[in-house]
Amino acid sequence: MRFAHLSDIHLGFQKQEALQRIEREVFERALDECISRKVDFVLVPGDVFHVNIPEMRVQKFAFAKFRMLHEAGIPAYAVYGSHDFSPVSNSVIDLLAEVGYITKVTRATSNEDGTISLGFLTDAKTGVKIAGLSGLKVGKDREWYEKLDRQPLESEPGFKIFLFHGGVSDMKTGQDRGDMEQMPLSLLPKGFAYYAGGHMHRFNHREFAGYPHVVYPGTPFAGYHSDLEENARGQKRGFVLVDFGDAVESVEFVPIENAQYEIIEIDANNRKAGSVNRELQERARGMDPAQRIVIVKIQGELTSGKTSEVETSGIREELAGSGALAVNVSKNQLTSKEYSITEARGENKDEVETNVFRENIGQLRFSQKKLLGDEGVGLAKKLLHELGQGQLANEKKNEYVPRVRDSALALLGVDKDDS
Amino acid sequence: MEEVLVVGQVVGGKFGDIIIRQKSGTNLEIGDLMVSEENGSYLILQVFALEYGSQIQDRMQQMMSGVNLEQGVADAQFYEPEFVNYVLARIKPLARVYRESDDVKIPKSLPSFFNKLRLISRDDLRFLQKEKDQIFVGHIRSGSKVIREAEVWLPAQDVFSHHVLIPATTGRGKSNLVKTILWHVLDTNKVGALILDAHDEYFGRTAPGLKDHPNARNNLVYYTPTDPPAGASRLTINLQSIRPDHFEGIVDFSDAQFQAIRTAFSRHRRDWITELMLTDLTMVEMDGDSRRQGEFAASTLMVVQRKLRLALSLERDEDRRVVSRHKVFDSTSRGLTTADDIARDIEQGKVVVLDTSKLGDEAELLVGNIIATRLLENYKNAKSTGELDRKPVATIVIEEAPRVIGEDVLTSKNDNIYATIAKEGRKFKVGLTAITQLSSVIPKTILANMNTKIILGNEMRQEREAIIASASQDLSEDDKNIASLDKGEAIITSIFVPFAMPIKVPLFEDVVKSKRGGTARDGKTKVF
Repeated sequence: MRFAHLSDIHLGFQKQEALQRIEREVFERALDECISRKVDFVLVPGDVFHVNIPEMRVQKFAFAKFRMLHEAGIPAYAVYGSHDFSPVSNSVIDLLAEVGYITKVTRATSNEDGTISLGFLTDAKTGVKIAGLSGLKVGKDREWYEKLDRQPLESEPGFKIFLFHGGVSDMKTGQDRGDMEQMPLSLLPKGFAYYAGGHMHRFNHREFAGYPHVVYPGTPFAGYHSDLEENARGQKRGFVLVDFGDAVESVEFVPIENAQYEIIEIDANNRKAGSVNRELQERARGMDPAQRIVIVKIQGELTSGKTSEVETSGIREELAGSGALAVNVSKNQLTSKEYSITEARGENKDEVETNVFRENIGQLRFSQKKLLGDEGVGLAKKLLHELGQGQLANEKKNEYVPRVRDSALALLGVDKDDS
Repeated sequence: MEEVLVVGQVVGGKFGDIIIRQKSGTNLEIGDLMVSEENGSYLILQVFALEYGSQIQDRMQQMMSGVNLEQGVADAQFYEPEFVNYVLARIKPLARVYRESDDVKIPKSLPSFFNKLRLISRDDLRFLQKEKDQIFVGHIRSGSKVIREAEVWLPAQDVFSHHVLIPATTGRGKSNLVKTILWHVLDTNKVGALILDAHDEYFGRTAPGLKDHPNARNNLVYYTPTDPPAGASRLTINLQSIRPDHFEGIVDFSDAQFQAIRTAFSRHRRDWITELMLTDLTMVEMDGDSRRQGEFAASTLMVVQRKLRLALSLERDEDRRVVSRHKVFDSTSRGLTTADDIARDIEQGKVVVLDTSKLGDEAELLVGNIIATRLLENYKNAKSTGELDRKPVATIVIEEAPRVIGEDVLTSKNDNIYATIAKEGRKFKVGLTAITQLSSVIPKTILANMNTKIILGNEMRQEREAIIASASQDLSEDDKNIASLDKGEAIITSIFVPFAMPIKVPLFEDVVKSKRGGTARDGKTKVF
């Protein structure tokens, strides 16, 4: 018997047309491969979609492919991921479940004493018992695991699979995203034959006492910008096929090719923007970007000037003009000694904002006194408040933008024409 | 009414050794605290010695005893015995408290001659009121009497950054004290702590422990090498996290062996231990004299391999992978971030308990060393970037402290991280909480740097002398007092308390019970 395990497909994440095409092709090839390899069922532990309700284009091809899987007699079992999660069953996952193309695995009951009981569903063809929990943003699902009534889950006989969507610290590789919340493996119930994980974007398969196979297939293409960077550095992407009888017999990673890449990495440490710009141009001209995804990554701390003086828009156009499929520029790890934001803490949002402004305002050199010191902090907070105003119900974008802009300019005491 | 409370009267002596006569019917004890009311202030004094006094000469008393014992006179008594025979107590002033301001000062004068003294009461200890971010260590104790209403709270951040020493012999309540302290550290995120738990007793796998604290879910992290309970983490340290300097002052390598280790590190970088352990020494042997510069004799490498194998419990499996028997050290890709994760938790003000019960001495210290090194580096960086103020104080709790800060260890060539922290950690808000039975083998310079000592009972004179000599308050008359401390009784001497405070540490189980009331889980949890 055999099953496939895919996760973190993040359909709808890509914004550039060429990347959207790859995203779709990779997804379709993965499911085609599942069908051609005659799997008994497919596990999808979260983040099939990048948001709970993606654009119609994405929904159309996703529905078409899941229907194909369904018509091939292959059930797909899923839990919500942190991206396609909806607390009110208002996700396209629920639509897919409604039409019967996938089955949501979570069978949770909240008990009076605060504990959570979890039921199994049984795959009709193989008799495999499947249980699972969805993933929430910022690791809030940890509370569920802490309250899980583990004993019935652990004592259930048979071949059992547990689906989960969340980072597990025991599975860290040292190259994981620093902002990823993780929980210890010990929070998962013991004694399942296979732990089908989602959320960590690299393929990883480890064995632990009580947890014989903990597996993350990783994303088949990219769900974060950093995934594309990793792809450019040679990270293999794909899904997992598992052969099993009474126990797991083999866990095979099936790679899926997605694109050719070029990467330009520039260390800006102790340099000026001009020197970084020159290197960027030289390196861009020294490559053939045709039919490739080009990643430009600039990181480090400039000795002076602003990070915006590192000019990338020209390079982007130049590379695109030379036939690059897509150009992704990352400057978020570029800072400047002259302008670097020091973090600050506080008891609440207001205090954090005040402290951050206080910590950093000393770096600024303006002739207008009202932009500096406590007055400057006060002004910055008001400005932040104005710029953070959301769009009103029934307000159109062409009304919203000028409203916020005019309020902000009024606060600064300048007219639009002053620029 | 007031007279009933009087327990004695000043009759003589000198500063630091005042003699009082005990009132008949009272029963003064060593360590009793008493109060002498003065004009606008009161003195707190403590009994440090007791002796008999009598208006009748010794020879006459001995003769009286003879009449009793030898002539069988059953009811022979002194006339008005309470006037004639009595107890003299020698007391010393601890503090002068000014009534209006509750200011506590070191006393510099004697109590008024013939002044009547009473036992201390809770109202006399109002100045002990808890302030923000303090940790509870116990209740004030007067002799063997515990004043429940007088709680002793120490300023957590000051105390931990200036190092804490807990000297005691076995069975005097060390673990109970440390658990009680850590329990209150869990109340907030103001102090981060790393505990090398050699007996796996603090978390409380099978008994009440820190896991029972209401904040344990957020503030307590427990690492154990095998079978972690739900919510706990597996203690796995990748061999790549270990650098040669982590062994300094912990594993005894000769110069040549250290040289071989450093060479392996510079050649193989993070894989140096794996490569060293997999080096086939028969091949090195065969090369014989053809060794190139920087290569080492097979015998040197053999000893290095053996020492690493023993220290880290390493073995080689059939796939030529290096594995450790207790599974704490890993040569694959596991545990690469453990040291960073733990350091980060401590920097967030969490209490991290490492179950090192399955590790040997050297491996335990090495694990602590790796994490403490990372932690100190991070705090040093924070200081250089001006962010140190925002970090919580960090303390590293280590049992049998002389293993790392003992005289014999520190006289060797290199300091280990624990000694470095003891010497300079204060500048970076990183401190040690050192627990020991043998204070006398810790160098005086380090003992003097440990600005808070929570002294439990100790019957070894040499140890008491070392503690008394390095105390923050004058304990020169407290030798017998320390020797007679019962289980759970302690004396706190610290630059952060106004006088050496006698305390009774509550039973940890009682502390847990008192908090458990409000932690019951109730109500349904929403799951989607």
